[in-house]
Amino acid sequence: MMAFIPPRLRKPAGIAMAGVVFAAAWLVRGGPLWWVAIPALVAAPARAMYLYWGGGQDTDAGALAGSRADERQQLLSLQSRALACNLAVIAAFIGLTVAIAVKAAWWWPFLVILGVAGLGYLFGLLNYGVTEAGTPDDVDAGHQTRSPVNS
Amino acid sequence: MVEEEGRGHLRASDADREQAIDMLKAAFTQDRLAKDAFEARVGQAFAARTHAELAAVTADIPAPVIPDQPPGISTRVREQRTRREMSQGELAAVLGVSRQTVISIESGRYLPSLPLAFTIARFFGLTVDKMFGRGGEMAGP
Repeated sequence: MMAFIPPRLRKPAGIAMAGVVFAAAWLVRGGPLWWVAIPALVAAPARAMYLYWGGGQDTDAGALAGSRADERQQLLSLQSRALACNLAVIAAFIGLTVAIAVKAAWWWPFLVILGVAGLGYLFGLLNYGVTEAGTPDDVDAGHQTRSPVNS
Repeated sequence: MVEEEGRGHLRASDADREQAIDMLKAAFTQDRLAKDAFEARVGQAFAARTHAELAAVTADIPAPVIPDQPPGISTRVREQRTRREMSQGELAAVLGVSRQTVISIESGRYLPSLPLAFTIARFFGLTVDKMFGRGGEMAGP
């Protein structure tokens, strides 16, 4: 689906869509706080426009915002997301610990976050080939593998 | 160890003593010092408390000659690019990466992936070994 959207529009579109869904959730919830949907509906397009503008800049951040990152910029993004995920897991663990200690009823969302993170990590290991151990080529051959450099 | 002006009274660290002892070892292996003199001076270096005392131990030993370092990866990429009178942006466009990545490679902050290294080497008409090998000689058209 993303392939049909021009690269520079992908992240702004995602932000705008998330804003609309977030606002819709407040509207569906109703009650006295329904008006939270209004700032959400304003902020999301503003953020999307800012991202679209940023996506045209000749910078690393611009390349990431415009979905045209090269290998180094993708690595930067990956490292940043890994850091963010680690911090989120630590925060969730602290939240879970505190919630349990104070006998709060809101402990389970933290557990869900930790569970999703753990499953996501395991899925990543499987998906990226950690189980492909392979067989050393000197086991079946019955002799030691020789380095092509020394042979 | 050459005493820097005005630093002689400062207290020496373990690193300073080790540096002086390294100089003594080099001098001993080069036959500048006899074994007795070497051992005596190492003892003095261990006991030295200030830079002045360390400087006295190595005063008659010439400073080690540091060999010229081979050009680094970053230097080679920059040199090849400037040899072709290309801007960083032009090279980035040819390689299919951002200008910032070319800057990072040239400044030594980023080592390119193997495919990108091949692309860069092929573009400059060099082997990857000559382009990126540590200590490899600078070669090219």
